Amino acid sequence: MILLEVIGPGNVSLVLFFGTIGMLALTIGLIVFIIFHQRKVIRYQLKLQRMEQDQQKLLLNASIRLQEEERQRIAADLHDDAGPLLATARLYLNENLVNLDKTTQLQSIYNAKSIIDDTIQLIRNISHSLMPPTLKNFGLESAVNDLFQKISGSGSMNASSRFHDYRERLQAENELIIFRVIQQLVNNILKHSNASFIHLTQNTSGDKFFIRLHHDGRGITQNDFNKLNKSNVGLGLKNIQSRLKVLHGKIFFEKDMSQTYYKVTIELVKEEEDKLQEQE
Amino acid sequence: MIVGILASIAEILPIIFYLVFLKRNRGEGLWVIFLYCVLSILTEVLYGITKSHIIFGFFLIVQFTLFSFFAYSSIKQKKLKYIPVIGAIIFYVVAIGNFANRKFDSLSASLASVLLIPYCIILLYEQIKDAQIDFVYNNKKFWVIIAFLIYFSATLFLYVYYSTLSPEEQSMYWSINNISEILKNILFSVAFIMKKRHTDPYAVDSLEP
Repeated sequence: MILLEVIGPGNVSLVLFFGTIGMLALTIGLIVFIIFHQRKVIRYQLKLQRMEQDQQKLLLNASIRLQEEERQRIAADLHDDAGPLLATARLYLNENLVNLDKTTQLQSIYNAKSIIDDTIQLIRNISHSLMPPTLKNFGLESAVNDLFQKISGSGSMNASSRFHDYRERLQAENELIIFRVIQQLVNNILKHSNASFIHLTQNTSGDKFFIRLHHDGRGITQNDFNKLNKSNVGLGLKNIQSRLKVLHGKIFFEKDMSQTYYKVTIELVKEEEDKLQEQE
Repeated sequence: MIVGILASIAEILPIIFYLVFLKRNRGEGLWVIFLYCVLSILTEVLYGITKSHIIFGFFLIVQFTLFSFFAYSSIKQKKLKYIPVIGAIIFYVVAIGNFANRKFDSLSASLASVLLIPYCIILLYEQIKDAQIDFVYNNKKFWVIIAFLIYFSATLFLYVYYSTLSPEEQSMYWSINNISEILKNILFSVAFIMKKRHTDPYAVDSLEP
């Protein structure tokens, strides 16, 4: 009524007409906005999902390629090293051996034994490269210390490691995954960084488990890591990523505050580890 | 006159389509809208016989109750569920107070529009927020909501000023209501004809262009 008094009776038709048109325009505008906005949001989500799938595909391909490379390496080791050794041993132990004099027989047996020992050692090395016995028997701390001692022992680099809080061992499979990640990181540092030292520290904070690697060579930052992960190169890094994905872990590459060292941090949630254990 | 006849014919369409595609509409909560369409026709018939505005007053209450129920059952957020309840209390107080009005109850009709438009906006907001819902226009309820939204938006000013119009103007402007009715019933029919779609918008298949 107040509105009517303000408008005046003569203008009611006009207000009614334009009011209705205005309301309809607003309603149609709202509907169109909702439809287009939702389409935009869904398209964006689809784009994100597609990107994630591409990333997964890259990681999967990297993992398959690495597995194939590992198989080829084992096949090559067995074929090129163990095969000729065993064939040589067989030559020493041929049927004519019984017709030879005792000294030659003993010499042949000694040579064959020596070759078989070499073959055993070779197979042991292959087996150790597949599953380090120190890791299996004594855990991640010992295996990492062992690895770092070997690197230091070579004299080319100073490598040290320190586990601050590793009283309780992680699950064996998870220890192996972490060990492989560390191995891959160390391998990358040895190959590409030209560093003079590597230092590894382990500690925990609340339910989080951290492993940090410092080195003074040329390293990569998180941006480089992300770029390499999306490209077709950087197989090792993709492998690290896919391994950590199994543990729901994270990895960060950064330059130290002092801008002198590169730092790699592996972060795992202990609860996730427990959950994985329960699932199994 | 033609618009009025068309509006009456259009009222039958959603009822036919609901019954023809009964399987598609089961479990979607659209029986409320079907009931609303049936009652709408009954009101028209009864008004034709009795010429009493009380029937429209009664239908207004039923219409508001049904759509409030539809909104209440469709709103997922608990906090927002209070809105149709509070709105219903306000509406019933006003509508029952004016029920004996022999003329068209402009106040209650306007109040119903003012209250139901926000319900529609809340429902649309919830639909676009819900990640489980496919493209919003693939959802049956979306068409029902926009049917009501267009209907109440288009008739709001008509209801507000209806009692102040002369009988000639009332008859002239009533075509706004008839056109809105036609649109509403077409949109209801679209909702009833549509196939059920429960696809995930982010499913792998939908990635293909």
